[in-house]
Amino acid sequence: MLRLTSTIRKELLILFRDRGGLAILFLMPMAMITIMALIQDAPFRDYQELKIPLLLSNKDTSTLGRTIEEGLKTSKIFEITKTDKTDHELKQSVKGGDYEIGIIIPENATALMNEKVGHFVTEKLSAAGLGDSANSLVAAPSEDLDLIIFFAPDTKKSFKVSILSTLKQFTSKIETQTLLDYFTKELNQDGLEQPKTENKIDDLVNFKEVNTVESPEETLLLNSVQHNVPAWTIFGMFFIVISMAGSLIKERDDGSYTRVLTMPGSYATVMLGKITAYLFICMIQCVLMLMVGIYLLPLLGLPSLVIGNSVIAIAVVAFSCGLAATGYGILVGTLFTTHQQSSTFGAVSIVILAALGGIWVPVYVMPDSIRMLSEISPLYWSLSAFHKIFIGGGKLLDVLPYAGKLILFFLATIGIAWVFNRSKK
Amino acid sequence: MSLSAAIEVDHLTKIYKGSGTPAVDDISFTIPNSSIFGLLGPNGAGKTTTISVLCGLLSASTGKVTIAGLSAETQSSEIKKIIGVVPQDIALYPTLTAFENLRYIGNMYGLKGDSLKENINKHLDHFGLSQHAKKQVGSFSGGMKRRVNLIAGILHQPEILFLDEPTVGVDVQSRNVITEHLQVLNKGGMTIIYTSHLMEEAENLCTEIAIIDNGKIIAKGMPKVLIKENGSANLEQMFLKLTGKRLRD
Repeated sequence: MLRLTSTIRKELLILFRDRGGLAILFLMPMAMITIMALIQDAPFRDYQELKIPLLLSNKDTSTLGRTIEEGLKTSKIFEITKTDKTDHELKQSVKGGDYEIGIIIPENATALMNEKVGHFVTEKLSAAGLGDSANSLVAAPSEDLDLIIFFAPDTKKSFKVSILSTLKQFTSKIETQTLLDYFTKELNQDGLEQPKTENKIDDLVNFKEVNTVESPEETLLLNSVQHNVPAWTIFGMFFIVISMAGSLIKERDDGSYTRVLTMPGSYATVMLGKITAYLFICMIQCVLMLMVGIYLLPLLGLPSLVIGNSVIAIAVVAFSCGLAATGYGILVGTLFTTHQQSSTFGAVSIVILAALGGIWVPVYVMPDSIRMLSEISPLYWSLSAFHKIFIGGGKLLDVLPYAGKLILFFLATIGIAWVFNRSKK
Repeated sequence: MSLSAAIEVDHLTKIYKGSGTPAVDDISFTIPNSSIFGLLGPNGAGKTTTISVLCGLLSASTGKVTIAGLSAETQSSEIKKIIGVVPQDIALYPTLTAFENLRYIGNMYGLKGDSLKENINKHLDHFGLSQHAKKQVGSFSGGMKRRVNLIAGILHQPEILFLDEPTVGVDVQSRNVITEHLQVLNKGGMTIIYTSHLMEEAENLCTEIAIIDNGKIIAKGMPKVLIKENGSANLEQMFLKLTGKRLRD
């Protein structure tokens, strides 16, 4: 026990006297959290809160034009600017990036739609023998009814499909309503009984959105803070790899490692002391980073971090994440012989594991092949566990599988380092 | 095993993985108790490998090593309690003070409390470092670091002390303090195994020497006797006569 406590004290003294190292371990992740949360605030709002700027030229003063315009307004996803610009000017405004979408509703849109409906209904009734006579057949419209839509050049395909689908929804309803009104009118002319109810069509099939979390307090929004605080906390914790690997290599270079090996007792005790000290630093890092999310970011106009309902689950995830980070540090420090090698490999490998783990970009937007690779990143397990608690309202049982993976990763790294060291003797 | 032997090396061979040539090639020697034994040789001769096997840092490929009657192969944990090691490198933590370094090393040997504190202060005082006890070792001169490095190896009063170039790169005053103290420790019964390139120092300090080259012991005995047998004026001349003037890497 004396060897263990003495090693912990020695490691902490060394760590706390290394001002530069401390700055990297604490200030860098704090700065990363603050900067990334601020930078990514707007994109997160884009998806969830911000409205899409839309330039509308509605030249049709009748039903169709009014209905589409009303539909766009009531959808609350567009910030509509009405314009009298020419078609070319409107196109240039969208192309220049002033607006994400431009829509032109032609002057005679309602009339053209009515002609198309009239032709369709009278043709069908006539074919069924219900029409008045061949003379009442409404002629097919002389031109097509095209609503023109422009997208900004950088608009993604999936976004276009989504917007076109929303617009189609507005027009479908009015098409159906017009068809029904026309059928009714035609049938009344045939002497059939006037329908007693209004021809207003309600949606026959509705989508009912059911929340995936169970109680109102669990209904947390995935915003920039909820994503970036845990993400960069994990990144910062894993950056301890560089410091830890550097410490191991330095001890090998200056002979301290050799001296320790000649001392009584197991070297495992010394390593346990080292791991404990670095794990303690990881825990302090984690608490500080979460405090930044809770107290500092709101002062900068960002939402406060909501940490869910299970402090125990957070502690377990932070502990297992810290273990995985220290284990990886020991592995890197064991496999590489110089500080330059270990710091370069350590930093680059963490950045790669972070990218794979969804620290930079959420995993769900990655291609399938990369998403499969994410599964092997301990940073992904850590982030998924934190998201489970912070966004899904998860408890201890929910995060245990992730914690288990992280602890297995720790054991694997320590095992490989031990075998490597053993083989050198 | 002789009762008066501190260390017995019997047909020791060490071949590193991936190397066809043995670093140490079938060497045998005995180091008597309470002696100062000098293991001398040019660079790459096999000194550090031999010392590393004796300290338990490396395992022997073949052969047998016995330290104070204990097998290096099976009783290394017992051996570690009775040996002290002073590596050639300054194996100290530069951001810790001299006292903190020595307290950590003392703790690793199971020493603690006031007795450890008194022990550290006594040694620091003896080596003229008490005024610097609370200064970080990184700010020390080369000689001061060497002295702390030596204290770290003897703090727990080992029966057998291994020293690898303990006076390299230090001034005459520091070297004098170190060698004088080694003689005091030896008079107290401590067996000292010492490597050095300083032939004059070895000649004066060692009660017995072995010269190793290309992994083999090429001479062993009391310095004065060996010098006389080889018809040399001093140890350095004898060393060059036996190992040649070819440069070693």
